[in-house]
Amino acid sequence: MGVDRRKAAVFGGALALRLLLLVLFPSLPDLLTGRVEVSTPVTSFKRLQEGLFLYTRNVSPYDGGVFHQAPLLLPFFSLLPNPQLFPLPTAVFYSLIDLVNANALVTISDSGQAVSGRFYSALRKHIRWDGVSIAAWFLFNPFTVATCLGRSTGVFTTTGILYAFASATTGNSLNAMLALGFASYLSIYPALLLIPLVLLCHDRQVQGAKATPEIGLFALRHFAIFAMSIVGLLGISTVLIGDFYTLVSATYGFQLLVPDLTPNVGLWWYFFIEIFDSFREFFLGVFWLHLAAYMGGLTVRLRRQPLFVLTSLLGVFAIFKPYPSISDASLYFALLPLYRHLFPLMRYTFFAISALLYATLLGPAFYHLWIYAGSGNANFFYAITLVWSLGLSILLADTVFAALRDEWEHDNPEKRGKEAKQV
Amino acid sequence: MATPAALPPLPFNPSRVRSYVLRLPLFTRLVLLAIIVFWLLELQTVWSVVQWGSIIPEEAGFGTMYRLNTYPFIHLGFFHAFLNVLALTPLLERFEAEHGTLTAVALFIGPLSTLPGGAYILIEKFVLHRNTAVTGASVWVFLLLGSEAIRTFKSNPYFSLGPYKIPTWTSPLFACALVSILVPNTSFLGHMCAILVGYLLGLGALKVFVPPEKVLRWIEGKLNLLGRLPHYVSVDQKTYGRYGVLPTTTTGGERGTPMSFLGSSQPAVRKLRSNPHFLFVHLPHILSFICIVAGVVWLLLLPLNDYSRQTYISENALLPGQVHAYFSGSEQHVFRGYKKELEGILASQTEDGQEGRKDEFTPAYVVISALQSVLKAAGLKVATQNYEYTSSGITHQGQNVYAIIQAPRGDATEAIVLVAAWKTVDDELNLNGVSLALTLARYFKRWSLWSKDIIFLFPPDSETGTQAWIDAYHDMQPAFVQPLPLKSGALQGGLVIEYPFDHRFESLHILYDGVNGQLPNLDLFNTAVSIAGGQMGIGASLQEMWDHNDSYEMRLQTIMRGMVKQGFGYATGPHSSFMPYHIDAITLQPKGEGWQDEMALGRTVEGLCRSLNNLLEHLHQSFFFYLLMQTNRFVSIGTYLPSAMLIAGNFTIMAIALWLRTGYFQQNTGNSPVEKPKLTEEQQATPAADEREPKTNNTQDPATKNIKERQLALPLTLVVGLHLLGLLPLYIFNNISHTYYTTATYTSILANAVLPLLLAAFLTHGLTTQQSLLIKSFSLLILGLFLSTLATLNFSLSFMIGLLCAPLSFVNRIKPQTITGPLRYVLAALSLVLLNVLSPPVVLLGSCAYFGVDVESVLTQAAFGWDVWGVWTQVVVWCVWWPAWVTGAALVGFSLF
Repeated sequence: MGVDRRKAAVFGGALALRLLLLVLFPSLPDLLTGRVEVSTPVTSFKRLQEGLFLYTRNVSPYDGGVFHQAPLLLPFFSLLPNPQLFPLPTAVFYSLIDLVNANALVTISDSGQAVSGRFYSALRKHIRWDGVSIAAWFLFNPFTVATCLGRSTGVFTTTGILYAFASATTGNSLNAMLALGFASYLSIYPALLLIPLVLLCHDRQVQGAKATPEIGLFALRHFAIFAMSIVGLLGISTVLIGDFYTLVSATYGFQLLVPDLTPNVGLWWYFFIEIFDSFREFFLGVFWLHLAAYMGGLTVRLRRQPLFVLTSLLGVFAIFKPYPSISDASLYFALLPLYRHLFPLMRYTFFAISALLYATLLGPAFYHLWIYAGSGNANFFYAITLVWSLGLSILLADTVFAALRDEWEHDNPEKRGKEAKQV
Repeated sequence: MATPAALPPLPFNPSRVRSYVLRLPLFTRLVLLAIIVFWLLELQTVWSVVQWGSIIPEEAGFGTMYRLNTYPFIHLGFFHAFLNVLALTPLLERFEAEHGTLTAVALFIGPLSTLPGGAYILIEKFVLHRNTAVTGASVWVFLLLGSEAIRTFKSNPYFSLGPYKIPTWTSPLFACALVSILVPNTSFLGHMCAILVGYLLGLGALKVFVPPEKVLRWIEGKLNLLGRLPHYVSVDQKTYGRYGVLPTTTTGGERGTPMSFLGSSQPAVRKLRSNPHFLFVHLPHILSFICIVAGVVWLLLLPLNDYSRQTYISENALLPGQVHAYFSGSEQHVFRGYKKELEGILASQTEDGQEGRKDEFTPAYVVISALQSVLKAAGLKVATQNYEYTSSGITHQGQNVYAIIQAPRGDATEAIVLVAAWKTVDDELNLNGVSLALTLARYFKRWSLWSKDIIFLFPPDSETGTQAWIDAYHDMQPAFVQPLPLKSGALQGGLVIEYPFDHRFESLHILYDGVNGQLPNLDLFNTAVSIAGGQMGIGASLQEMWDHNDSYEMRLQTIMRGMVKQGFGYATGPHSSFMPYHIDAITLQPKGEGWQDEMALGRTVEGLCRSLNNLLEHLHQSFFFYLLMQTNRFVSIGTYLPSAMLIAGNFTIMAIALWLRTGYFQQNTGNSPVEKPKLTEEQQATPAADEREPKTNNTQDPATKNIKERQLALPLTLVVGLHLLGLLPLYIFNNISHTYYTTATYTSILANAVLPLLLAAFLTHGLTTQQSLLIKSFSLLILGLFLSTLATLNFSLSFMIGLLCAPLSFVNRIKPQTITGPLRYVLAALSLVLLNVLSPPVVLLGSCAYFGVDVESVLTQAAFGWDVWGVWTQVVVWCVWWPAWVTGAALVGFSLF
């Protein structure tokens, strides 16, 4: 089969849209780069530029405490021309990354793992969108476009995660582990996806081959691959930077201890601004524990649908990460259409989406009132980030409900379409 | 037809609560009514109902015997009344249902309130020698609890709590103790008296007070109470049943009993509830309409004293008018000298054949250098800045002169700006203003008390100069504006002085509206009013309300003028340009003929500068969002915002209702075939593709159990496309030459008339009812979203556009099924014409005609605002209002095809 014409149209259109926006509004990338909704301290392109400046002048990029991203990005970005003078190559590069991500999505969708896996096959699996449509939904999502134009380095983590999923769903578990290792190396939180991803790989292995590999050994082996990939990447980074301790404390230490409380769309910054310093360590622990706890619960409860666990975990990260941005939300939204068959079971989509739309509009307005007009204050923006998180939480809870309901109807065929009350 | 059985069940069953409330017997109702009425009466402040009707032991006497009957009805506040009502209703209802209405009346009006009350007075006054007033229906609550407890005791004498046996009659005592511990201000003694009487009642000791049954029967029979009074409970339960009718288990359905007087409105309400057409079609319309009316009424209430507030200085550091102003005496000679000098130069300019003095004046090089030399002589640092703006083919250029007094007691981190433009807002020559500013510069330079730099700015006009200067001050200037060679610290406040005439003035007119409806901190305005009025004895006015007599109409008019200015968002004076940079600024304009001279204005400015000089941090204490209705009265955002939010909310309500309607309720299911979505990529571009299975309903035939899919692709594309299309007129109206504006307006009117029809003609084929409803839903959702966001930024604009868009909630495609034949076409054409009257360009033309201004000049000004000031009113008009309007018009247009 040649190149799918629809796929080419969608990908071409997405690329054209991004370049068109860049040409029509040349100041847009810089504007978006400065927005707190797009750029967080750990993904900001501006900070990357600062690190790059130091790096190309043979100073440690972590001097000055501005740059907190993985060091391997530096040699790579030093190859690109200066984005201040030549914005186009960087924009094209980021657009291509988006297309690569979309391609991974197509692979995930075409594998059909979202609707039928080893243990479970959804009831309404005929209601689904094909891969190109899902890719289109991802590529034309305004949040994705904004992230792309804002040149957030979060897109590389997205690539890692999506490729890990894509490889896992196609049965290539080695690549899945390597991709997840790459994503975890870039920003630490994808490591939480390891267990459900290993389960997904295992299920896929069992489906493909007749023999069932022993799960313990399988997990151990994959964990080893994962760890090796991280160790390898860290090794190269250490060679690059020289000082391992500085490297780790400036990147992973920064992400774990959350010292920079620049406003973002998440829930951490305001809380940690308000809290007394003596409680800081305790609540850091609590917040991280809370974030990590979802992994165990969802994995156990939805053991039969590991890909859904992964998707929901991405939704959880988009809400509860220390430095979330709209790029995390866009990643979650990208994977949601895989579960098109759950939409009929969802109950609050309209309200969740209305809440998200309100937050999308009111967020910048209140940020403006707070920072520029001076007539509002931090509570305005924080209130809106709460609404945003609320909208996402409703959506997340609703999809999980729909998935559970689908499983339940699957197990209780006589109750299909009947009212059921949870007690 | 699908029924809306899918509405989620509530945790309790509202229909049971409702039927319970509707079945309450007569006396219970009356008591509740009396309690509510007395509570409402207590709301006024003239006459204290509590003082009048509660039991106060000291005042016990023959004249105040009525208190023994009134006190159970009277409560101290809402919660007191509410809790008592909640507790009393079931008890009293039960009592009345068992004993009949007449008995209940006889007992409760008589002994059951007087006995506990009397007992309380006796104990309180003569035993305890205290004087605590009591009131409230809790006396009846405990009384009835007491009598119930005795009854329970008779049938079921003990609770067992482990080895202990507690007699059940003690339970009210526990309740009483608990209440007096948990709830503050409860009278333990009063409750105890009530329980005591309750025990007596339960034991039958009060039987003497019950009127004999024979008498009751006779009264009931003679007056035919059962026939006349609704909800009346008869004495003889055996004959007529508990409510005069036999109890049935089913709550629904009409019973043809002649005795059924209850709930005459009940079936009607139920019919409405079970009527999906009402729920999904009429109710949202009603709600939307109520929202709009409430929003408007809310705004009209604002000028009342109850909703507005007196202004006050919030920032203590300002200390307005607390210092003596020394600007007087010899400074007047300096002022005259400067004025003569400037006049001389200007006169020579006129002789040279340059422009006339009053109208077309631009300060030439000579004047500028004269200014510079004066300022330099006074010891200030002087600099100039050239700028040039082009908008709608008109070039505006000029040169700013400014000078800085460096603070003797500061570190150049903060500054105050004094602006005197050569031309005032009304394009008059501001000679006195400029001279006064020069005099003040010389005068201020000699003071040692400044802790902030003072910048004197002399722009050539009131529109462009300040904008160019302030942009450059923050390094945000466009290419054709020079950067500033000389700068100071963060600007804390700005004052603009105007004095365009030679005679003395009467009062100060204060301009405060900024670009895009942003306002300066209210403290600055208050300081100006308080210094002018309090210290200098100069009256102040605002919004060109010259004779404000503080009446409702005048206040409303002031608010309206402020709202119009805020809504249009243009710069009302040189001060407006400061606002986007979060620098609070006002313009002072002397007005009228009086006895205040330029020295008085100078002293006012001095006082203001001294106040600003005192500031320890940026003005932040007071309000940034307010509507002024008088120099000393305002409403703050919390009070006025709901009005715009209600109007914006009406669109959201409608959008949600339409969304629900497309999923739950189809008016004509036969017409919209159940289709699977075609899988094109645009079609999938939404996660909202929600679908509903009609919830199981016994009456439904299996055919309708199919999944009803909302077809979202067309509606979404149309609505998003129209919003993007709005960029086109936005671009055109901001970028063509000013000579074409009139033509462009008429062209856009024509285009507006045609575009909806074209859309309708193209889309009408295969457009299902559902799709047209979805189009409206999305369009209104976006409108509501934008307007509610806008309300937080620019209340007035949101309110005005909301009102102009209000009809869009109610326009619909007129379906061929509902109205047939030519009438439909006539109706559709008529509503199209009416809608066209509300289209953006027609409204523009109309308001231009109303205010008597030229369309071309308005649009030129608007384009100027867009280019120079950064006004974004046009974006709202073309990208929010216009798309919503086109969608509405297209929906009406569908009925033509």
